[in-house]
Amino acid sequence: MFIKGVGMTKFGISDKLSHQLAYEASMKAINDADVSFNKIDAVVCATIEWFFSIEKQRHFAGMLSSMFKTNKPIIRVPAGCAGGGHALWVANQLGYDNVLVVGVEKLMTCKSESITDEFMMAMESRWEQPEGINAPASAALVAGAYLNKFPDTTTDDLALIAHKNHSNGFLNPKARFYNKKVTLDDIKNSKVVASPLRVMDCSISVDGAAAVVLTKDKSDIEIVGSDLCTDRVAPFESNDPLTWEATAISAKGAFNQAGITNADIDFVELHDAFSIVELISYEDLGFAKKGEGAKLIRDGYVNLDGRMPVNASGGLKAKGHPPSATGLSQIYEIAKQMRNEAGDRQITNTNVALAHNIGGVGGTVTCHILKKVGG
Amino acid sequence: MTKTIRWICEKCNKKWIHPIETCLYCNRKIIKQIGTKLKVIGYTKVNIPCPPHPLVPYNVLMLEDEYGNRMPKKVIKDYKIGDIYEDKPDSSENTISIVKIKYDFYEAVKEALELIGDIDVSENTRILIKPNLSIPGYAYTGICTNPKILNALIQYLLDKGAKKENITIAEQSFFVPLEKIGKKSGIDNIIKKFNVNYVDISKTEFEEKQEREFTFEVSKIVNDFDLIFNVPAIKTDMLLGIDGAFENLTRFLSKKTFDELAKDVKKAVMALSVLPNMFPKFITIGDASIGMQGNGPAQYGEPGFYNMIFAARNPVVHDKAVQEILCLRKLPYVELAGKLSLGENDISKINFVGNELDALRRDVKQPIGSKLIKRD
Repeated sequence: MFIKGVGMTKFGISDKLSHQLAYEASMKAINDADVSFNKIDAVVCATIEWFFSIEKQRHFAGMLSSMFKTNKPIIRVPAGCAGGGHALWVANQLGYDNVLVVGVEKLMTCKSESITDEFMMAMESRWEQPEGINAPASAALVAGAYLNKFPDTTTDDLALIAHKNHSNGFLNPKARFYNKKVTLDDIKNSKVVASPLRVMDCSISVDGAAAVVLTKDKSDIEIVGSDLCTDRVAPFESNDPLTWEATAISAKGAFNQAGITNADIDFVELHDAFSIVELISYEDLGFAKKGEGAKLIRDGYVNLDGRMPVNASGGLKAKGHPPSATGLSQIYEIAKQMRNEAGDRQITNTNVALAHNIGGVGGTVTCHILKKVGG
Repeated sequence: MTKTIRWICEKCNKKWIHPIETCLYCNRKIIKQIGTKLKVIGYTKVNIPCPPHPLVPYNVLMLEDEYGNRMPKKVIKDYKIGDIYEDKPDSSENTISIVKIKYDFYEAVKEALELIGDIDVSENTRILIKPNLSIPGYAYTGICTNPKILNALIQYLLDKGAKKENITIAEQSFFVPLEKIGKKSGIDNIIKKFNVNYVDISKTEFEEKQEREFTFEVSKIVNDFDLIFNVPAIKTDMLLGIDGAFENLTRFLSKKTFDELAKDVKKAVMALSVLPNMFPKFITIGDASIGMQGNGPAQYGEPGFYNMIFAARNPVVHDKAVQEILCLRKLPYVELAGKLSLGENDISKINFVGNELDALRRDVKQPIGSKLIKRD
């Protein structure tokens, strides 16, 4: 299918509720697609129902029906932080002519301890949660093991990744950290949240929504590869905790569908929930050999002016991470780049891009390959 | 001993961290693999709190066993990679073991008992188990002792060599017919499954016992056994603070004694504090598999989802530790029992095995409105 229109809200702290944010992003996508909502056959939405949220609102499909004034199918597909990518994958499978895909999250309604608890619920409930494994702790255990196994890689490399994403986010008006300078020293001196990871190794929770109009009619951007894979809920259960296997499998599936290899990718929007996740994903996606991911950041290969920019948007780190909206905000960024509408962060080569979205600690992963039509 | 558990298909060797009975691929039986030789292969020091883990910093270790199976473990003590992780069982009166249930209730009960030095059981050992069946409640509410705990305990006793004929479950209710509670809680099914003895304490003979200024009518049943397990369902209690080891003993008393104590709160505190002296030595297995918080123990409490089991040889140690873990206010009868030298109530002198106290502490909804419990 083709990407006909994209829309997203500013990522940050919003006074709007979920359904209002979803409406705003959807409206923008519909306008961008230049179609009437009457032409939309179905809506696929992703959102997490937060226990601590002030919204106290269940049955999001009903809420969207009220907002969109429609009786058409509205299908909700929560998948943790991969909700957006998951929704796109589902929409791509459904066979409708025109589908609106929207992901939204309203996180900033409770204190950070509660948000930590909410994210912890993506961990295994008997083996991990009671043992204090929250999202940063889970990533930190992986980071520690990685740095131990590959001592040439250091926390300085992780800081470079965070700094690269902040440098990009500085240029993105939709990003939480737009126009906010973050230096490498700021990152290296930030508070340790779960050793060896510092607060500036972690993505930032925000409110936000993103939407995409998918169509069978030819448009300027085509989804040429779309794969979804799952994996065990807990990394300690995996054969190799230093690999997110679902990333490797879904990337392979998407590349096969597209008939290309990773060498053909011009730029990537990658799920950098933590700096270590971006580093390991370089390897799982096949852009670097195991243990050599750091070379990409050291050599500037993944910088905005590098051979294959990663997270031109600022990524989850600097753009912000409203979990179910993240995957679709990646598609928004790719569309803007392919249309030369990315302003100060515009990349030169934008024919083929990869969007990579992870849910939980690798339990759900989607990879989408988008190609500029006629590019 | 802290242990890893895996459920493995006997044919294809697929491993699960969740208990299943049959392999989805082979339709073959599953065998359990228990790892006990644990080595630290990774760790992180966590500095951000959240409601279930309010105290920071804490460490999360990644442990690996002799089969290569891994599990995380929350600790306060610092470890380094390569260290051996082991619990040291301790059978002293000052010890409490705390085990987090990893789906497998049998292994959790076994581990909790092993950590307090285990039990000696033979085919002639006469065993009494006193669950909490005070008021009716489905298992998921945490009101009654979880049938899964009772099931695991009986199975463990049988595996240790006990005879089912020598195992007796005894309880009474001062409020509701016992049959009704047994049925609703699911305990009846366990009793039927194992065909063990079931006794309504209210129908037993009682004898007068004197302790300080109190006269108690105590069921004679407690004299007939070699090994007694006190198995309270850990709940917050509007009146007593918690329903733990002490409260569960009250239903060994006659209704007459109970009613007399209930008339006078201050007297009840004094009486409760000396109550353990009425009984032979017993082991408390605190069932916090569900647990309760808020204004328990009945309809105003709500499930706590503590997912833990406690074991202690001394009821003062047990209830003091529970109070500290759940960050509840001091329990006057436990404090008094400590002063009367019935058990250790100085938390710094209680030996925690299985898990460290500060790795367990969590805020729960307090019971409010008690005339017994003073605000700190």
